[in-house]
Amino acid sequence: MTPATYSATPGGFLLVLAVMLPAAAMLTMLVSRPRHARTIALATMVFGLAVAFWIGAELMRSGTALIYLVGNWQPPLGIALRADGLSLMMLAVTALVITGTGLFAHRLFGLDATTCDGRVATSFWMLLMGLWSGLNLVFVSQDLFNLYVALELLTFAAVPLVCLDGRGETVAAALRYLMFALLGSLLYLLGAGLLYGTYGTLDIRLIASASEHGPAVHLALALMIPGLLAKAALFPFHLWLPPAHAGAPAAASTVLSALVVKAPIFLILRLVLDIAPPEAAAFAGQALAVLGAGSILFCSVMALRQARLKLMIAYSTVAQIGYLFIVFPLAAGGDGVPPWGTIAWTGGALQLTSHALAKAAMFMAAGIVAEAIGHDRIRDLGGFGRVLPLSAATFGLAGLSLMGIPPSGGFIAKCLLLTAAVIEDHYWLAFTILAGGLLAGAYVFRVMNRALATPAVPLVLRQPIPLGLELIPLALAVMAVALGFLPLEPFGLLQIGRPDAIPVVAP
Amino acid sequence: MSALALTSASLFGLCGAALVGIGLFCILTHPELLRRLVGFNILGAGIFLVFGAVARRGAALGFGGDPVPQAMVITGIVVAFAATALAAALLRRLFDLTGRASLETGQAELRPRSEP
Amino acid sequence: MSAASLLLAATILLPLAMAAGCLSQRFRARAPALLVLAPLPAMLAALLLPDGASASFPVPFRMTLALDRPGAILLGGAALLWSAAGAYTASYMGGKPGTQGFAIWWLLTLAGSLGVFIVADFASFYLLFTLASLSAYGLVAHEQTAGAKRAGVVYMVLALLAEAFLLLALVMLATGSPDSNPLIRETAATLPASPLRDGIVLLVILAFALKMGLVPLHVWLPLAHPAAPMPASAVLSGVLVKAGVIGLIRFLPYETALPAWGFGLAVAGVLTAWYGAAVGIAQRRPKTILAYSTVSQMGLVAAIAGAGLAAGDAGTPGLAAYYGLHHTLVKGALFLAVGIALASGGLRLRVVLLLTGLLALSLAGLPLTSGALAKLAVKPMLGYGLLSLAVSLAAAGSTMLMLHFIAVLARETVQNPDAAAPKGQVIPFLAVLIASFVLPWWLYPSLTGAALASVWEFASFWKLVWPLLLGAAVFVLFRRFNGIAGAIPEGDILVLAERQAPRLSHLAAAIERLDRSLRQWPVAGLLLIGLAILLGGRFLLTS
Repeated sequence: MTPATYSATPGGFLLVLAVMLPAAAMLTMLVSRPRHARTIALATMVFGLAVAFWIGAELMRSGTALIYLVGNWQPPLGIALRADGLSLMMLAVTALVITGTGLFAHRLFGLDATTCDGRVATSFWMLLMGLWSGLNLVFVSQDLFNLYVALELLTFAAVPLVCLDGRGETVAAALRYLMFALLGSLLYLLGAGLLYGTYGTLDIRLIASASEHGPAVHLALALMIPGLLAKAALFPFHLWLPPAHAGAPAAASTVLSALVVKAPIFLILRLVLDIAPPEAAAFAGQALAVLGAGSILFCSVMALRQARLKLMIAYSTVAQIGYLFIVFPLAAGGDGVPPWGTIAWTGGALQLTSHALAKAAMFMAAGIVAEAIGHDRIRDLGGFGRVLPLSAATFGLAGLSLMGIPPSGGFIAKCLLLTAAVIEDHYWLAFTILAGGLLAGAYVFRVMNRALATPAVPLVLRQPIPLGLELIPLALAVMAVALGFLPLEPFGLLQIGRPDAIPVVAP
Repeated sequence: MSALALTSASLFGLCGAALVGIGLFCILTHPELLRRLVGFNILGAGIFLVFGAVARRGAALGFGGDPVPQAMVITGIVVAFAATALAAALLRRLFDLTGRASLETGQAELRPRSEP
Repeated sequence: MSAASLLLAATILLPLAMAAGCLSQRFRARAPALLVLAPLPAMLAALLLPDGASASFPVPFRMTLALDRPGAILLGGAALLWSAAGAYTASYMGGKPGTQGFAIWWLLTLAGSLGVFIVADFASFYLLFTLASLSAYGLVAHEQTAGAKRAGVVYMVLALLAEAFLLLALVMLATGSPDSNPLIRETAATLPASPLRDGIVLLVILAFALKMGLVPLHVWLPLAHPAAPMPASAVLSGVLVKAGVIGLIRFLPYETALPAWGFGLAVAGVLTAWYGAAVGIAQRRPKTILAYSTVSQMGLVAAIAGAGLAAGDAGTPGLAAYYGLHHTLVKGALFLAVGIALASGGLRLRVVLLLTGLLALSLAGLPLTSGALAKLAVKPMLGYGLLSLAVSLAAAGSTMLMLHFIAVLARETVQNPDAAAPKGQVIPFLAVLIASFVLPWWLYPSLTGAALASVWEFASFWKLVWPLLLGAAVFVLFRRFNGIAGAIPEGDILVLAERQAPRLSHLAAAIERLDRSLRQWPVAGLLLIGLAILLGGRFLLTS
């Protein structure tokens, strides 16, 4: 087999743009005055969205992956950037959620004129840009070491976001997050070293095209997958996520929950599907599915037991991530159908997208509730739907998607996964999906029940909430629901640029 | 038994593995965050030694030293340095705010105290 | 797009559009008064459109609507009751706080519950079924009393459970079809040949039994129906449970006999019919008694469906729908009557009680009423064996239950001779009452194929009367059940289940403890290393 080579495609520079634009914005903020930070961030969002759309247009036009070779050096010496359909989806969701978060933060910080350009706000904008750059790098990198750097960049931007308000407990949560993420990334790095020792390259495609797989590749995968799981906070490695996501400021928890945990998952997907030898992939898929199912059931019950709204949403994140891991055995393919041609693959991708949108909307709505009422104890929130009807509606719509109630994106995703589970005879996964939906229904219902209740003493708003602030999460929640109008079949876009796939015309 | 022959590459590799083990042990068992941080650095050093061994193995095959792992080690050291700095800064902040230098006491305080 | 498809689409879209209109403050203030108009397209569709009218809407809506005979029968009755109850709401709830919010839930439930009668594809059926189920929570819990809150929680739990059963059943059914969103009728026909047949039939029956309230899944009915405001109880009991009936009609294959499953469903139905009557006579609130009567009647519908399934009788859907129509109108009118009787006095009260008594005994099959027609229509299918006897005994049970209902209602009424119910409530009640007496006569010949004259024969007359006499005799002998009134709490076995609640919270607390220990740093770290070792060992072994 001849080693695969890369040839740069016309639109390749866009990938560099997607990574460098936010990074450049962050650097500009460092040297400019604090009050310009917001302007720079908002401008970057406009350009970032445009770049994401442009990449999408290029991908649909050409029907093949976009490739860029840094400095025109071929791997194994050089580094390649590559965006296929799945990368594009991640880039687009990232741009969308970051823009939504940016607008939300802009309004939220604007509530208080004294702190609107203060230290917290300025740090937030810089970290948000750093985060975006790291995320985009993860989604387009082809080089395992480059991916390590991207993941670290992501962690270093996410950790300070957790403790932005500087309280003792959030600093503790941030440290716990940092430490566990470090443990994970060092395991990953060790695995990457072993892979380099075997193949003399770290390029995913070159490794995948190697004809022989020695024991080293198995050891490497056995180190890298748990390492990434630690960063993805899959049960039972979720120790850091609930305090970190619940303690962070509303705008920060939005991106942390919606996007940051998805980056390591994206990477696990590529490791298992692209690099792992078939038997190893099958076992890893089974193991990941068991952990995913545990995550769904265990953390949904935990979400149900939480007294605070943001903690509940954080546990729900761990539970929803579980759905992404049960995709592995379901999307195993076979009979000439590649994994990315199965409905489970589409279901997983849809789950990823709809969860990102719905969870972002939910955290924002919770942030508004906490901001307006002064606390987020679910028990004492009776009747918040009467004073904040739009936020309650947002919570309800986002909840529909988490529960998998039609016509939401979450419904289509769970329906596809359920169908795959029935076809593949994995009934235990089918029951897990249904039980997870029931539990999600229970915890969403618990909050909605409080929202619609008539309290003895009506809630009083600590401060008025402008309509514009409430509309942003509502827009995201509506998008999560609107995803439900996508077709129920395997989705052509997700197959673009996958190995072996015939170039597919866009849907 | 050439694999067991004690070339310098194997020595590097074995040392690296030992350091990784020590680092992991340190990270898992010590509740004090500073010690844990040191553990991370030991673990990191072990991993870089493994990378070094990988580079030497390339050299043993007659390539005259593989530059890629060296570049990666350098980058890795920078990343590890950044991580250590961030963790140390957070740790200091935690100590200033709460007077604690460990995360686990928070868990212990939640338990009911049996003795006065 | 033809007029037929427009009308079918408007059936669902008009109430949804009205609900969306409630975003505007001005429309919201008028919404309660306009509720009467929301089911108009459904009523027109049921009346005017020919059997087989259909409409499909392309991607991204992928909705196919079709009107067949059973669907039209149920749709017409439901639309009529929704409309009358909507008018009743405007008068009954007018001016009370929260009525505008109530109107939104009302419209959403209405859209869903009418929609399920006309959708023909899987995804839309699930969508509308869910819409009706979940929105009805707003009706059940509207009053915000302790009872309403408890009823709301129980309702929601069971509704979500039904959703889960239904979703799995639909997915299992759809795997046998090449289309990703197949049509219900075509796919249900392939069910007998499906390798997953038994699982699917079980799930379908469970899902719809939850909605219809078959024992022991009936516990939400006796809680939810009394807790809701009067017009909401009428539609909950009259229309919403019919979502289960249409489900059984649509998803079970009546062209092919499934004797074992049919027999099981029929037995469950008969037991439910008896159980509802037996527990109902130990109740002391009129609305609760009516709710138990609904349980009992839905048991009869299940028995009809079961008998049809066992025999492979293709006429079953029409007959089950006919029985459903009778129950929709009579039960809806009865709930409205409770409100009117409680507000009337003097001569008016006596007239109302007389009419209510007629309605109530119609459920038991009083000759010349819709109940008699419904029972005569299904008689040939039930045969003349044990099943027929069981159903007649259930009618005797219904007689006892309904006499008990009238007695309780008469005791609760006010003694003020000048009291009068507002016209806005009386007129809708009379409309449903008249419809319940007229519509079944109109449909009887075309459905059964028998001439109306057969109704007058002495044999059929006697078949109807002996259960009535038996029930009345028992009622008199047991001195109007005064001794056992209130002996069984509302929701009967639910109370037993609720005693197990502490165990569930123990389990949750154990999970919480486990979570706390898993989130300890050394534990999580060791687990991580453990997973690495496990994966590594297994990879190396298999390679």
